[in-house]
Amino acid sequence: MVNLTIDDKQVTAPKNSTIYDAAKINGIKIPILCHDKKLKPFGACRMCLVEVEQMRGRQVPACTTPITEGMIIRTSTPDIIKARKMVLELLLLNHPIDCPVCDKGGDCDLQNLTYEYKVNANRFSDEKFHHEIDYSNPLIERDMNRCVLCGKCARICDEIVSFGALTFISRGIETKIGCEFEGSLNCEFCGSCVSVCPVGSLLARPFKFKARFWALTNQKSVCGYCGTGCNLTLGVKDNKVLTTVYDENQGFHNGQLCCRGRFGYQFINSDKRLNTPLVRKNGSLTEATWDEALELVAARLKGAGSSAAALATPRLTNEELVLFKRLMETAGSANYDHSAGYAHAALTEGFAKSFGAAASPATILDIQKSDLLLVIKTDSYETHPVIGFEINMAVKNKGVKLNILSDKRGKLSKLPDAQTLVHTPGSEIAVINALAKTILDDKLAAGTAAAIPGYADLEKALAGFTPEAVAGQSGLAASAIKRLANDYAKAEKALILFPIGNAYPGHNADLASAVANLALLTGKLGTEGSGVLCMAEKNNSQGAVDMGFYATSGLNAGQIMDGCASGAIKTLFVAGENPVVSYPNRAAISAALDKVEFLVVSDLFMTETAAMADVVLPACSFAEKEGTFTSVDRRVQHIKPAIRNIGQSRTDFEIFGQLIAKLGGQAPATPATVFGEIAASAPGYAGMSYASLGETGAFAPVAVTAAFVVPKTVAVEPAAGKLALVTGSALYHNGTLSQFGEGPMHVCPEGYLELSRTDAAKLQIKENDLLNVASAIGSTKLKARITPRMPEGVLFSPYHFGAAAINQVWSGAPVTWVTVTK
Amino acid sequence: MNPITPIINGLRITLEHLFKKPVTLQYPTERPKVAQRFRGLHALNVSHDKAKCVACYLCPTVCPAKCITVEAGEDANHDKYAARYEIDMLRCIFCGYCVEACPVDAVRMTGEFELANYHRSDFVYDKERLLEKK
Repeated sequence: MVNLTIDDKQVTAPKNSTIYDAAKINGIKIPILCHDKKLKPFGACRMCLVEVEQMRGRQVPACTTPITEGMIIRTSTPDIIKARKMVLELLLLNHPIDCPVCDKGGDCDLQNLTYEYKVNANRFSDEKFHHEIDYSNPLIERDMNRCVLCGKCARICDEIVSFGALTFISRGIETKIGCEFEGSLNCEFCGSCVSVCPVGSLLARPFKFKARFWALTNQKSVCGYCGTGCNLTLGVKDNKVLTTVYDENQGFHNGQLCCRGRFGYQFINSDKRLNTPLVRKNGSLTEATWDEALELVAARLKGAGSSAAALATPRLTNEELVLFKRLMETAGSANYDHSAGYAHAALTEGFAKSFGAAASPATILDIQKSDLLLVIKTDSYETHPVIGFEINMAVKNKGVKLNILSDKRGKLSKLPDAQTLVHTPGSEIAVINALAKTILDDKLAAGTAAAIPGYADLEKALAGFTPEAVAGQSGLAASAIKRLANDYAKAEKALILFPIGNAYPGHNADLASAVANLALLTGKLGTEGSGVLCMAEKNNSQGAVDMGFYATSGLNAGQIMDGCASGAIKTLFVAGENPVVSYPNRAAISAALDKVEFLVVSDLFMTETAAMADVVLPACSFAEKEGTFTSVDRRVQHIKPAIRNIGQSRTDFEIFGQLIAKLGGQAPATPATVFGEIAASAPGYAGMSYASLGETGAFAPVAVTAAFVVPKTVAVEPAAGKLALVTGSALYHNGTLSQFGEGPMHVCPEGYLELSRTDAAKLQIKENDLLNVASAIGSTKLKARITPRMPEGVLFSPYHFGAAAINQVWSGAPVTWVTVTK
Repeated sequence: MNPITPIINGLRITLEHLFKKPVTLQYPTERPKVAQRFRGLHALNVSHDKAKCVACYLCPTVCPAKCITVEAGEDANHDKYAARYEIDMLRCIFCGYCVEACPVDAVRMTGEFELANYHRSDFVYDKERLLEKK
């Protein structure tokens, strides 16, 4: 710590602080326009000028000057105030005074400072700018006439998002922020630039003219899309969520969000939300009362035993999942599952055996503290963009080495010094085994490894996985595998990341075991910056696993679907899942749901699955309920309602509670009571309560009991003349819910088929051509998207879209062999 | 004091008024002359054939009676305008803060004071009714 004096106050601040940071942590406010705590100091705006006793005769910018022992700083002498006023006058010289129509009004740093420093006249005069305003995209409006050239947007886009869409163009008075070749913005649309803009130059179009900032009620919440667990502030007016509000002090990510988190909130107040319960009468769904609908469901569930089954979306809160499980147990059934029954297997089977706990022994915070990251699939950026930002920052700011093992290249491959090993689709487990084999052969294993149970079996099982043998089937060079194994084993701290989800059937228990073996062999576990992070798909996927909402003694999701088809399952309760779109093999799923005698669906929207139901119950979104979500690194976070229930909708907590009561069980009164039970029973949750979670949440610790498990490998046999289709997640979407978010749908409105330039040339396909994609189980039509990142012979398609129907082609295999015709 | 004096003073005032112009107006046949700064019914000023209001929301923000409802819209030139502008005259306390707050001189108060009506809904003046009559 360094001792210094600021405004006659003795203060201390950590070494490496700037004057601005030192003042801030000691509660002294220095005005500034160009600073954000996530970004590197820049010194563009000159508002933070201060006087330092030891640097007499000049004013120094607080944001770029490091502190030294004994510094005497004055932040508001008459000279400094005069200088700051002049800075404001010069900024206002070209800044249009259109505050009444500017959406930033009320939240504008320049407006606030002008008011604070009473700059109500200008000694200078000049013409205002006449830059053309960019209205060309539906999410971000760019009005460079209002720009004060603080550079925050360009810096956040480069330093954190690592996209580099914006930069300074021209010199001198003509300087402006622009895109390449002065074109329009065409980027990831994460909106980071909008969030940090101190003036109204960059505005969120979905919120344009909707309300003034001071009319919004801010409610802190947790994002309802992916499993990262980003914190959100919802801006609410008249029971409507109108926007997400940026707060640089929120969450591990300091308010940083992705496209769907920032711009995908519209599903909450969508016109398409279900308002009343619906009951099928004479073949069509008609409006009914809650009593009528719940009576029907209760009558079917009462004593149903194993003929009843349940599927839940891992978007429900922990409390709701516990209650749903209890409802099924009251009905006498153990058939409940989520995420197609396989998407959570990496945790519930893989890690459960390898680590003795169905959770990742690492946190997101380890990413920036590591020395080497091994990312399995470049899709990790698309599935969890904010974790992707952490990787960007780790690589760019902390010099962390990035190694990627993937079946295609991606954005992460473009990071400085990123090593991407592109293997043939479906061979990742073999490659990881080859890494383990190299570590064993080169005597790189940690001394502790031999003592872990299963070591001898693993050694024996890996005999066939020499880098040379795997090189043939994976398309990698043996030397590359050896190099990666050496780098991983020799790094002091190393972290492995891989995504799981409905679209990644190959990321199963075996992959998890293979990855766990690597970490256990080298002892890269249990210390800061090391471990394995399994990135579960939905906002509460980890919670669903922790609550035990998966098949243990009953049928799993796949078997439930088979049971529906065979007639063994007579009543199916689907809460929030949309199996018709998100489970593989649509024809089989549709047939099964058609066959099942009684289908109950509780959902926000009339999804493809809800349309087939006998009873549809309108449920609530995350913004209307109280409960807890558990993120991928087991951070348990408490959410509170931001708005009242829409229409007659009820939370799943209420629905399950009322059904339990109707079945003669005891329904708990509030989510807090259920969370008390969770804290008493769920591993790692002990001692938690809503009060102790607070705003930041708490980590549920993971106790590791290590064991080596031999992963099964299934060699993918290439089919002659066919292309390998792999499914996955698009950057702008998560599950099927984001189809109801306007932001994501503006940027990525439909499914597509990504293919390499070579294949496109071979098949004479042009961008946006409508292609017929056919596999052994069916066919669908998708638009072509030709990208340089795809290797020859490999196709990629996102799975989120009901209309694109990729699951008519995809049967749930990690690799689907297809033919593509125009 | 002599008990008679106040009575005489009273009568004197009455007598004086007999020779002055009467204060009472024979409303509605006689109409009052409304002062220029009288705060009556609001009007939305018009310029270039459209309302000057830019929907900045300052009037509903400042309104102590919360009687103004504004909803902004985006026109073909991407400019902001008041898609909805309503004043609930039953709630209005005619304080004139809205006029004071307006940054673009879009709202003023007229001399119109006859606001009686038969239905509650008729007291909610929408944008069309508030636009200044030329």
